[in-house]
Amino acid sequence: MRLSPNLVPMLVVALVVVALYWPIMYLANIPAAQRALDTGAALPCKTAFECATQLRSPVLPSPQQLWNGFANLMFPLNSPNAIPINAAVTAFETLVGLLLATLVGFFFAIGMVASRAFERALLPWIVASQTVPIIAIAPMLVVLLGQYGVQGWLPKAIIAAYIAFFPITIGVAKGLQSPDPLALDLMKTYNANNWQTYLKLRFPASVPYLFTAFKVAMTAALIGAIVAEISTISFQGIGKMLAENSRASDVVAMWVIMLSSAVLGILLVALVNWLERLLTPWRRSSQVVAVPTKETRLATRGEVRS
Amino acid sequence: MVFQNGTVALKDANLEIAPGEFISLIGPSGCGKTTLLRLLADLIKPSAGTIRIGGKTPEEARKSRAYGYVFQAPTLMEWRTVLSNVMLPLEVMNFPPPERKARAEQMLTLVGLEKFARHYPWQLSGGMQQRVSIARALAFDPQLLFMDEPFGALDEITRENLNLELLRLWRETGKTVIFVTHSIPEAVFLSTRIVVMTPRPGKIETVIPLDLPQPRTFETRETARFFELATEVREALRKGHGYEVTE
Repeated sequence: MRLSPNLVPMLVVALVVVALYWPIMYLANIPAAQRALDTGAALPCKTAFECATQLRSPVLPSPQQLWNGFANLMFPLNSPNAIPINAAVTAFETLVGLLLATLVGFFFAIGMVASRAFERALLPWIVASQTVPIIAIAPMLVVLLGQYGVQGWLPKAIIAAYIAFFPITIGVAKGLQSPDPLALDLMKTYNANNWQTYLKLRFPASVPYLFTAFKVAMTAALIGAIVAEISTISFQGIGKMLAENSRASDVVAMWVIMLSSAVLGILLVALVNWLERLLTPWRRSSQVVAVPTKETRLATRGEVRS
Repeated sequence: MVFQNGTVALKDANLEIAPGEFISLIGPSGCGKTTLLRLLADLIKPSAGTIRIGGKTPEEARKSRAYGYVFQAPTLMEWRTVLSNVMLPLEVMNFPPPERKARAEQMLTLVGLEKFARHYPWQLSGGMQQRVSIARALAFDPQLLFMDEPFGALDEITRENLNLELLRLWRETGKTVIFVTHSIPEAVFLSTRIVVMTPRPGKIETVIPLDLPQPRTFETRETARFFELATEVREALRKGHGYEVTE
């Protein structure tokens, strides 16, 4: 029961959010309900307060409307217009994007650690690449890739990778540089070559940093995949559902899909957490491992001094 | 030894060490004792002068894996078990896999930690971690052992126990040990000779031979001769520091 310690606080937060949501929802919807009543629209309610939860296009949907919308959009499970298949497609694009981002991230990170010149030459451009709005660059990339016959889910994965490689590059570079100077000296006393120093020291030391980066990159990749689906021609995915319902001005569906993509994000990050526990067994029973011990702090200071 | 910024770290350091000796380098912070050890280990290069280790330059000695180095911190890899940490140098040096394990287990027995082979470093106390680090330095059987304040961060009781254990290791293995410390009792208890160093610029003030009988025990620290030698070292340190020597 590993989830149980998180479950209770999560539910408490959910309850607080719902409790706060109710009054805000009424405040937002009552003026719209009043206008609807004034124009004499056919509504199954008499007062603005009553109508606030039953508007066809509410400013904020009522919990009841959300629940109904959720039930409509979840089923049938295998429908091409329901959330499950579209969420699976988006999740697939996100994961492929993360994989591509990891390959690119390692390449840049190793380059940056191995050569200061490489870092100086490339880092400003890597930073610049991230300041371009993804919503602007996504259609351009799709046009470019379409020129070479790359279509369907792959352009979305590439766009997801485009924003996910940045946190991975920075995280892995930091991780590769994390070994203590004494540990690097130790490898030197063994006359270890560069490859051995990477294999035995730098790569293992970077694993915790890699997983921290994965958590940031995973959410970024998910947003990248969804934005790519919205801003290009898509036949499947959460983004395609958002775009469709946005055109149809279906506020309730928009909220339901947004909340579903949030749940998808939670599941994907949970996947990273699970992999982290699996692959870093030495940290399993203790969260304090990453904190330097008194001895290493003292020794590092001593090293600087002498 | 002059650093690039012009700081003279070490000057006029002439010393010859015979095989099987236990040499302590003692002196206040900034006297260059760690620098001297790092020069011997080829972790830094001298700006002038020559060093020979069994006829080899420090670089040749390092490349032929002639020494094991124990640092101020245990520098264990947190993702490796204790046994796997001791196997690290053997992996780097391409020992055959069955021999790696056999040697590492033997080394852990030597430092009395065979029961902790499957533990991770964070599950061990600071003193135990440093014993693992000593086992690791001895795993590939180098003739020389360089130790840079290995017990500096430990409490007095642990330190005295490890001193005794280190002497036992030294007797059993016949290694030549060069040991950096700033503890006078530690240096006197362990060494066959003490090299007293003084700061700014770092240089060798004097070399004090020690005639305390072997094997040394806890009682050695209580003998009159131990106190005489400790006083001798203390006075040499004071003289080098420019303080007046009081009788």
